[in-house]
Amino acid sequence: MKWLDALSENSARALARRTSRRSVLAGLGSFLLGATAVPLLPVARGAEPKPTGGASGAAAPGAAAPAADPGDPSSCDYWRHCAIDGFLCGCCGGSQATCPPGTDMSPVTWIGTCHNPSDGKDYVISYNDCCGKSACGRCFCNRNEGDTALFQPGQSNDYNWCSGNAKANIPYHCSTARIVGAAK
Amino acid sequence: MRLRIKPVVLIEALMSCAVLMGSARAELPGDAGRSPEVATLAVPASKHWVWVNDFVFPHMADGMAYLIDGDSGRYLATLSTGYSFAHVLLSRDGKRIYSPETYFSRGTRGVRTDVVTLYDAGTLKAAGEIAIPPKRASNMPMIANAVLTDDDRFLLIYNFNPAQSVTVVDTQTRKFVREIETPGCALVYPTGPRSFFSVCGDGSLSLVALDDAGAAQQTRTQPLFNMAGDPITEKPVRLGAIWYFVSFAGRIYPLEAGPRQAAVKPSWWLTSDAERKAGWRPGGLQQLAVDSRRSRLYAIMHRGGVETHKDPGKDVWVFDLSSHERVQQFALKNLSTSIQLSSDAQPLLFSIFIDGTDLDIYDAATGKLLRFVQHVGTTPTIMVTP
Repeated sequence: MKWLDALSENSARALARRTSRRSVLAGLGSFLLGATAVPLLPVARGAEPKPTGGASGAAAPGAAAPAADPGDPSSCDYWRHCAIDGFLCGCCGGSQATCPPGTDMSPVTWIGTCHNPSDGKDYVISYNDCCGKSACGRCFCNRNEGDTALFQPGQSNDYNWCSGNAKANIPYHCSTARIVGAAK
Repeated sequence: MRLRIKPVVLIEALMSCAVLMGSARAELPGDAGRSPEVATLAVPASKHWVWVNDFVFPHMADGMAYLIDGDSGRYLATLSTGYSFAHVLLSRDGKRIYSPETYFSRGTRGVRTDVVTLYDAGTLKAAGEIAIPPKRASNMPMIANAVLTDDDRFLLIYNFNPAQSVTVVDTQTRKFVREIETPGCALVYPTGPRSFFSVCGDGSLSLVALDDAGAAQQTRTQPLFNMAGDPITEKPVRLGAIWYFVSFAGRIYPLEAGPRQAAVKPSWWLTSDAERKAGWRPGGLQQLAVDSRRSRLYAIMHRGGVETHKDPGKDVWVFDLSSHERVQQFALKNLSTSIQLSSDAQPLLFSIFIDGTDLDIYDAATGKLLRFVQHVGTTPTIMVTP
């Protein structure tokens, strides 16, 4: 329960700033979104001046990001995380682009369109999940916006998409945020 | 006159008494032969028992289900149910518990094996196992992840890998029968002894009629639900031939569905215009429960914005399903994400929060808190009653 408690506390503060009330359930649902392919209003999200995810809960690992890719990849506020939901792989031994050692990257992903404040361009971000170990439990980043029921898998954050091939089958660990390319 | 005794004298006297009493008392007999080594459960189960299912989110390889007696608050038993567990299913004769389960040969890696484990309801020992395709959906647990047909003959399990299908298991022969493709359609909702439906992403239904061998005939309806704007949840409850779906905002859509046709009856709201403006809406994971004897619908309610449809609530509103009138409302002791009713004439209302783990037990008729049970699991999800 430790991470769950931390999740409650950290999320509650950030969430309270922008919503009336959020639950850990929403967070849990969003965790599964972390393992999910959800093209959640990518254009609308990309248009947001600032991502408004949950709390990070961990310090930035390593050196500061280069100016062209600004921000802290272990923070929910990092620009690439505009549509992410799950544990940030940068806090779990990987990075925003790389899975932690010993995991497998899910071939199934969901995408978002995020605005890079440094160059003013929108980028398509692929939120590949890292699978094959139990939940990392660090740097949970959640949101429930645009979520619908399981009837619409592409818009539901309650699926675990760590599935679909022999390697990345079910156990969800964390989520990356890889740049696919500039949005046209 | 006051009797005065020195403390030392008093202690000596008490010690003497204790020694005398101890020597006079017979020794406790050994437990061997007097108490069974392992407890068993009454069959059929009490109607006031509840299974609390737990997908144990921080350690999903270790799914569990807990059995609690609502009358005493006593914790009765546990099942260990594998990875990404949804919930158990109880046979109507009370003798069997079915549990769709997923395992990996090395814990979280290795060969994946999906099975339906059959537990004996009296001993809770695994009494059998049915191998099924390793495709069982992994998602926030829903009651519609797996269901029994109305006569218990077939067990239906929703698959997502991410192709969508339904596994059909024959409970009589204890064999996997077939997989029914349901592209674009999710979950399983029974409509009779040989039929069920899945709900498709465009708001239509995939109606499935089974024969006695489990062979399927499928009918795709026109879109019956509007999935844009204020979509329905996947958490309806059933009373007879009607499935009561609820939208995120709290509008009830009664769906009458059979093997080959379905229609949505006139909708109605859980809330008045003023209550909606004030932000009242249903929320939670198992957010509705139905009392079939009194035709009452129970809903977890809270105040919040449009994206709080999974948020917990601390209020329960009760509606008459004939008149659509709210007939009762009461505040809960704790936040709740799941409620369930017992199925007897004096129903209990069970309430639990996925992040709280206290099981609260209410008199469903009055809303009075009867008792609570602490530390029930880790992340409790769906509750199932006999």
